Formats: sequence, C-alpha cells, structure tokens
Amino acid sequence: MSRIGVFVCHCGENISRTVDVERVAAYAAQLPGVAYATDYKYMCSDPGQNLLKKAVAEHQLTGIVVAACSPRMHEKTFRKAAQAAGLNPFMCDMANIREHCSWVHENRDEATAKASDIVRLMVERVKRGKVLEPITVPVTKRSLVIGGGIAGIQAALDIADAGHQVVLVEREPSIGGHMAQLSETFPTLDCSQCIMTPKMVDAANHPNITLYSWSEIESIDGYIGNFSVTIRRKARSVDEDKCTGCGVCMAKCPQKKIPNVFDRNLGLRTAIYVPFPQAVPNTPVIDREHCLKFKTGKCGLCAKACGPQAIDFEQQDQLVTEPVGAIVVATGFDLYSIDRKPEGSSIEGYGEFGYGTIPDVIDGLTFERLASASGPTGGKILRPSDGKEPKQVVFIQCVGSRAREKGISYCSKICCMYTAKHTMLYHHKVHDGRAYVFYMDARTPGKCYDEFWRRAVEEEEAVYIRGMVSRLYQRGDKVVVMGSDTLVGVQVEIEADLVVLATAVQAQPNADSLAQKLGISYDKYNFYSEAHAKLRPVECATAGIYLAGACQGPKDIPDTVSQASAAAAKVMTLFAKDQLEREPIVARVNERNCVGCFACRKVCPYGAIEEKEIRDRQGNLIRTVAHVNPGVCGGCGTCQATCPSKSVELDGYTDEQIVAMIEAL
Amino acid sequence: MQQNHTQLADDSYFAAVTNAIRTETTKLLSEGTVAAVIGYQAGTRAGTVIPTIITDAAKAGDLVFSPGCVNNLALYLTKAKKEVRPAGKVAIIAKGCDMRALAGLLGESQLKREELHIIGVACVGVKGAGAGSGEALTTGTIARKCRECTVRAPEGADVVVGAVPPLPEFSPVEAEELARLEAMTPAERWAFWKGHFSRCIRCMACRQVCPFCYCEQCLCDRNRPQALETTPRPAGNMAWHIVRAMHLAGRCAGCTECERACPMDIPLNLLNRKMARELKTLYDFEAGLVPVEKGPLTEYREEDDQSFIK
Ligand SMILES: Cc1cc2nc3c(=O)[nH]c(=O)nc-3n(C[C@H](O)[C@H](O)[C@H](O)COP(=O)(O)OP(=O)(O)OC[C@H]3O[C@@H](n4cnc5c(N)ncnc54)[C@H](O)[C@@H]3O)c2cc1C
Ligand code: SF4
Ligand code: SF4
Ligand code: SF4
Ligand code: SF4
Ligand code: SF4
Repeated sequence: MSRIGVFVCHCGENISRTVDVERVAAYAAQLPGVAYATDYKYMCSDPGQNLLKKAVAEHQLTGIVVAACSPRMHEKTFRKAAQAAGLNPFMCDMANIREHCSWVHENRDEATAKASDIVRLMVERVKRGKVLEPITVPVTKRSLVIGGGIAGIQAALDIADAGHQVVLVEREPSIGGHMAQLSETFPTLDCSQCIMTPKMVDAANHPNITLYSWSEIESIDGYIGNFSVTIRRKARSVDEDKCTGCGVCMAKCPQKKIPNVFDRNLGLRTAIYVPFPQAVPNTPVIDREHCLKFKTGKCGLCAKACGPQAIDFEQQDQLVTEPVGAIVVATGFDLYSIDRKPEGSSIEGYGEFGYGTIPDVIDGLTFERLASASGPTGGKILRPSDGKEPKQVVFIQCVGSRAREKGISYCSKICCMYTAKHTMLYHHKVHDGRAYVFYMDARTPGKCYDEFWRRAVEEEEAVYIRGMVSRLYQRGDKVVVMGSDTLVGVQVEIEADLVVLATAVQAQPNADSLAQKLGISYDKYNFYSEAHAKLRPVECATAGIYLAGACQGPKDIPDTVSQASAAAAKVMTLFAKDQLEREPIVARVNERNCVGCFACRKVCPYGAIEEKEIRDRQGNLIRTVAHVNPGVCGGCGTCQATCPSKSVELDGYTDEQIVAMIEAL
Repeated sequence: MQQNHTQLADDSYFAAVTNAIRTETTKLLSEGTVAAVIGYQAGTRAGTVIPTIITDAAKAGDLVFSPGCVNNLALYLTKAKKEVRPAGKVAIIAKGCDMRALAGLLGESQLKREELHIIGVACVGVKGAGAGSGEALTTGTIARKCRECTVRAPEGADVVVGAVPPLPEFSPVEAEELARLEAMTPAERWAFWKGHFSRCIRCMACRQVCPFCYCEQCLCDRNRPQALETTPRPAGNMAWHIVRAMHLAGRCAGCTECERACPMDIPLNLLNRKMARELKTLYDFEAGLVPVEKGPLTEYREEDDQSFIK
C-alpha cells in the first residue's frame, strides 16, 4: 500500500497568486494512497525541506510529490531531501504547477482545478514508481582531442598538464590550424607564428600527449568514460621514427611546381613536403597524386638522398585503436568558397564578386599569407596577377555573412576585426597606399577591440564606406568596384589594384559526417551544438564529449582559447572521479517478451542496444534478445515508443506509470 | 457476371513445378543440405492443399504445387518456429509474394540467410477467395493480388522452379479499389473503415496468419497496463486496427493472408495497400524487395518528408 506525501508550494506568490494552494492540498489529502498533504510558502527553503523530511518519518511515507516549479529547477533538491529522510530518491517526483499552470493561467478556479489534476496524475505515477539505484561506470582517464588548431592544442596541453594522457588527432600533416596561417593578430598585432609555434612544439613534446598528425577518426564506439576510438593513420610514405626532419628529400624532389594549399595556392611546394617551415611534426608527407614514383614508378630521388632511410613508398594506412574516457572536438572552421554555389548546398555563391575568375580578388586568408613574413612573398603585399604592389585596396566585409537571401544569416564575428587589422598591416607596408572598406556595421565588442578598430579609422587612414558592393569587374589591370555609400547617399566607383573579401566563416565541409560518428548534434550550418546556449556552452548533449573553438561557431583566438581551457576543465572534472554515477533513468528489456526484431536498435540514437543470447543449460542458443547497456542509454525512450510488443521500457517512465497518468486524467 | 474465362496455365505447368519441387527436396534431404522442407501437400478435399513440413526424403512425393497454394509459408519460420523448426538449415517453397516476407524477416533479424534454402516458384498466380476447390485457375478465379503481381519471377532464391507461361493483361481491380478509397473525403473514409471495423469479432486470425506478427506477446494481449480493450466493441476494434496497420506499415509483404483468414471479410489488405502507398510517397520505400538494414519508420533521413507535421 502506497503512503504518498503531497507538498504544495506557494512559491512566494508565484503559484498562490493564481492557484488556491490550500484547496489543492486538501484535495490531494483525500486521494487514494495519499497519507499526508500540506502546503508551504517555499518548499525549496531549508524549513520547507525539513517539513518534508519530518513528514516522511511521522507519516511513514513511501513516496513524495512536490507540487511546485519545473523539475528542471528543483527535482534534485527534493530528491536529495527525500534521500536524507531515508527514501529512495526516485520515489520523489515533482508536479509542475508553476510553469505549467499558475504562470500561464489567470482564472483562479480553473487554475486550481488544473493544479489538482496535475497533482493527481503525479500521485498515480509515484504510486507505481520503482526503487532505482544509481548506475556506476568506470572512467578511463585518457582524453581524445580531435583537431590540432589552437583550440585542440590548448585543450590538449591543459589536460596533459593536469597529468592525464591525451591523444591528439590532426588530419593535416602539421598541427597549427588556421592560426598558423595568420600574419599578425588583432587586437595586439603580435606575430601569429611567434606565439603559435612554441605551443605547437610544447604539444608535440609533451610526455602526456600522443600526436597523430595526417590522421583521421575512423570510428567511435562506447560512451562517457569508456570510448573506444579507431584512428586512421594515413600513409605518410615517411617513417616518422626514422626521419630527422633534415629536409634533404624536399631539396631533391624534381616536382617543384605544386601549388601550396597552406599558402592559399600562392606559393609552390614539392611532392614530398611539409606545409610550412615551422610544421610540427617536421616530418614530410609524400603527396602521392603528384609524386613521380607513384605516378610513373620512376624517380625515388628523395629515398636515395635520405640519410636515415626514412622514406617508405610501400607504407599503408594504419588503424590504431585508443581507449579514452572523454573527447574534445576542436575541428575548427573553413572559409566560405564564394566563387560558385557549393554542390548540394543551400548556400548561394558570390560569382558577382569575381572570386575565382578575377585573379586580384582574394579572400582574407590569402591576404594573411601575403602579409606574413614567412609567406610566399616574404611579407610583401604583392598582388597575384602581376606581382605589383597594389596602391588602392578595397576590402569588402560581410561577404556571405548576414546574407539571409544567400543562405547564411549569422555574423561571422571575426571579419570586422581582421579587416581593420588588414588595413593597418597594409598601411604599415605600403605607406602611399590607400585602403577602402565597404562595411554594413562595425561590430567590435571585446576587450580593446573597439579601440583597435578606431585606430584603423582614425590613425591608420583606412577609408570606411558604409554600404554594400553591387558589382566588380576587371578593366585593364584594375578591378572596378561599384558600390553605394549609404551614409552620404551616393554611388561610388573605385579603381582598385586588389580586392579582399571578408568571406563567411563556415563549418568544416565534413563536419556533419564526423558528428554522426560521434553521435553529437549540429545546427543547420553544420556547426556543432552545445548542450545549452548559455549554461552549458562547452558540453555536447552527448555525455563525455566537449567542444572547443570555431567548430561550435565563428570565434576569434581569445574566445577559442577560453573555450578550449573550459573544455579541458570539464574533462578534468570528469577525470577527478574513478567511477561515474549517473541517473538510473535507462531502458530495460523484458527478455521474456522480446522477439529480437531489433527495431529498438535501429532507432536508438545512443547506440545503447546490444544483442544478448539466451542459452539453455547445455549452452544451446534459444533466442537472441535486445539488451540495453545502461552506461550508454541516454534515457530518451525512443525504443519504448518503437517496440511493437512493448518489450522495452524506461525505468521511471514505464508504460504502467504513463497509462495510469493518462487514465487518471 | 457471365463471361468467358480463359484458363491461365495448363496442368503441365503445375505438374512441372510439382516435379521440380520434389526433385529438389529429394536432393536436399538426401544430401543432408537441409533438415526440413516447408511446402504444401494435398488436402483432404480435392484441389485443396495444406502446409506441411517434410524431413524425410522418402516423403518428397507428398509435396505439390497447385493453384490452391495460397498460404504464405514464411509464417512457419517465425511464429511457429519453436514448435516446428528443427535445428539446421531449412528449405522453404516461396512464391514471389512470399519472398517479400522472407526479405522483411531477414531485415528484422528473425532469419539468417545462411540458415535458409529458398526454393522460389515462378508463379502464374493462385486462386482467390470464392473460387471453388475444384475450379481451375482462370482469369475469373485468379486471386486479386495476383492480377497485379510484379514479382512473378522471384529474385534472390537459391533455386527457381517453373517457367511462367505468357499471361493476358488483367484489369487492375486492386488499384481501382485503392483509387476509390483515396477519392473519398477523410470523413467518408473514416465512416468506411468504422463500418468495416465494427464488424470485427477480434478472433485475431489476421494476426495469427501474418508472418510479421511474430511477437511473443502482442500488444493486444498486454494487461499491465492494458493497451487495448480486448472485447469486440467499436472503440477497441478501431484501436486494434490502427495498431495493426501501423505495426505492419513498411513491413507488410502484401501476401493478403490476413484478408483470406478473416471470417468477417474485412478488407484488411486494402488498408495494408493504402499504408504501403503512403510509405512509397513519403519515403520512396517499398517493403520486401531486398532485406534492409533500417525500415522507413525506424530511420531518419534529412530529406524525409516532414509536411505531415502540422
Ligand atoms: C582571415 C582571418 C584572420 C584572422 N585573424 C585573427 C586575428 O587577428 N585574431 C584572432 O583572434 N583571430 C583571428 N582569426 C580567427 C582564428 O583563425 C580562429 O579563431 C582560430 O583559428 C580558431 O581555432 P580552432 O582551433 O578552433 O580552428 P582551426 O584553426 O580551424 O583548427 C582546426 C584544426 O582541426 C583540424 N581538423 C579539422 N577537421 C578535422 C578532422 N575531422 N579530424 C582531424 N583534424 C581535423 C584542422 O586541420 C585544423 O588543424 C582570423 C581568421 C581568419 C579567417
Ligand atoms: S523492439 Fe522490442 S521486441 Fe524488438 S528487439 Fe527491441 S525490445 Fe525486443
Ligand atoms: S531509452 Fe533511448 S537511449 Fe536508451 S536504449 Fe532506448 S532508445 Fe536507446
Ligand atoms: S499484414 Fe496481411 S498481407 Fe501483410 S504480411 Fe501480414 S498477412 Fe500478409
Ligand atoms: S499487431 Fe503488432 S504487437 Fe501484435 S503481433 Fe502484430 S506486430 Fe506484434
Ligand atoms: S481476422 Fe478479421 S475478424 Fe478476426 S480480428 Fe482480424 S479483422 Fe477482426
């Protein structure tokens, strides 16, 4: 026989203003199975909780319904109180009569009647509640970090410094990401390479970090505390253990005219290459598409030149499996390709700006390479078409960003700042040059950011024109920029030598497929979704997976590094315990009824359902049924809704409880 | 209706199929390739057949194939498997429509392909409801589903027996019936089904005969909590038929066994076909062509039609 206690909260006046709480308590008191009911001003306060604890003892309560706010608010509070009073915490539930009732109604009688209904339903549910014990799972105190940009490097270093092993996986031959490509960085104009390279070296040399560059995630199994990651180490054709990084091979390679993607195709590289001189690791990769040995079978000059015999044309991709307990995703961003509409994309291209057809229309990252001391021009601003120094440069902001009609409605956040930076870098290098900027707004929130922007405008002679460009075209060796100055209300036409487009920050092109491997969610732009926009900005909804950097949304370096350290802190919090305790709201299979159709496995978004073989004493297989791994189950209940014969149910939300609630209505 | 009906296949076709089945059975059982063959044997009344399971090569001569072989034998691989399915590989006689059930059951982990030996029958058709047991297979007696059959030559079988003789064009009775249903207004359709379902006596023959209703305990038999009212009253009947339609959507092989078994002549297959049509339009899915990893209702694809969410 159930002895339920019902506690109706006034929530100050939040509830009692519209709901007659005394009447609700009196109503609850006469419900079958209710042993005690009362109302109180603030149930969540200390005296309120004590009232609950006392009542459990005095009335030998077996279950509790607190009629108050949303369970999201105080379920934990009251379950703890119930536990302190000697009850199983899962025998305590909340009836939400605030958000679901008093806040949304005006008529007192009707609201009171509805509150009574909600209480009655919850009483029925708790009556059929089961004692549940928390689930514990062990934690593997090693972390995976995917992506070796500044975000991944920072997260890896923090976790490693805390004494935990880190596996850092980078898809390119070198770590560094986009920051390695930048020249100088806002808002302080310090050289990007100079602050980045030491971190890259630290990460590679850290005793707790295993770096897999030129590698990708093949598959991921498992769950928080217990992931198993398979990594594809792409064939480098160079033995990393033997190679000393002397670079003789690159000097010998006859294939010297391959556009270097790292330099936005402005510079050239050999077929055996490191993407940039400061690469970490400093081990070259053979680009098999261009290598003569792979193309024609003849050559091998690099192998002959290599002292330690590190070159291995026979090398194959290798799969390695690493057990980890947590994952930080730090795969960064990509720049919007503006010349054409990307295939299958809902995003329109910007063909009208001539990108891809007019050689002197470049994007911001290409400008960074031009301005970089280690770039293809040695830091001289020279335009791609004829290598001349441009005297008039037009910068166009918001190309792709904030253009709903083109398919992207968000602000890329960094372009206002880096365009201001570009005008300064240009001004420092070409003293007689003039920089024009077409902009919609100047968005410069951030420490020292507005000051930085004003410096560009007020001290560094950048001409800011508020308005959009309608058309670009080549006239002789000039690029004519037609636009409007909306502040003055006139059309402007500028004969530019170089045009730089601040193109939108987008998710990595393969971001969705990685998300699917990880089982994390992403928004319509393929940026990864955090669990809560404000309160859980670095966690994924999938337990044990954290986000850092621009893979979650456009970010500058300070924000990226902050989030990376935050993600590392979350990982350390997880690793502070040997065992994880989690809510026992998980599905359970009725093995007598399950027929092993595995419809549940097909729909389970967490991959929690396994096959279990039922055998007789002689070991003969009788049936194969579904089994829920409680460590993995997210308690979503999808299986319960799918199973035709209702052979799987969520603890705490059994069909019996739900049907009883419906019937009580 | 007075009409001259033409016979669709002469006796030699059925004799050839029967012989081929017997030869294959003898071979399989004597060589020990399979432990049993599920097929048809002659019933007590002339022209009727009953499903049978042969484990002895000497009994291969009992097997027949005739226009009366309506049963979908896939049923005996699942529901009754505990009683009848011996250990080891099993052979089964399967018409094209039965093959669809097998493909579905493979996709639902109920069968393992390597434990099955499928003897496919290139099928001219079987007789429909109302045809007397002594009657021949003619344009008049052929089952409605067989008039619009698209799977006469079964694909994916281990061996196919028989060869389909040239057949005349049939007027598409089933398609017309579905078109009439679809032409109704929602209110008319509701009334149509309400009328039919109110006659249901909840004998559950439709469930018992369906190869996909292999659940250990059907939702209808649950009593804690009770999911459906079990007595044949309008509300419970409606609920049962909605459950049946939804549980079989995207799975039903179209064998029409449910409709054949129903003592109350409820047009169950019309509902099945309507559901199949919906899945075809919404998800471009057709059940039973090949075993699939995920069905249309257990898979989410970005391009799935969402227009029905209002
Ligand atoms: C033109 C331009 C100028 C900028 N200037 C400044 C500035 O002056 N100051 C400032 O604060 N910020 C600036 N930024 C922003 C800065 O570049 C970013 O904030 C920063 O690079 C984000 O770091 P990240 O690690 O998140 O991403 P990324 O730098 O993109 O690094 C991601 C890394 O992950 C790797 N990766 C991707 N996918 C996978 C995968 N599936 N598996 C394994 N590895 C993968 C990539 O190869 C890359 O190494 C600028 C950006 C641009 C475009
Ligand atoms: S859906 Fe139901 S019957 Fe099918 S395997 Fe899962 S629990 Fe078992
Ligand atoms: S409740 Fe959700 S996560 Fe758990 S087994 Fe069922 S479908 Fe999977
Ligand atoms: S629902 Fe009817 S037609 Fe469909 S597979 Fe079952 S018995 Fe055959
Ligand atoms: S109606 Fe549904 S629950 Fe019942 S046996 Fe058929 S598939 Fe299973
Ligand atoms: S066979 Fe016919 S009468 Fe029997 S339960 Fe099914 S629909 Fe109803």
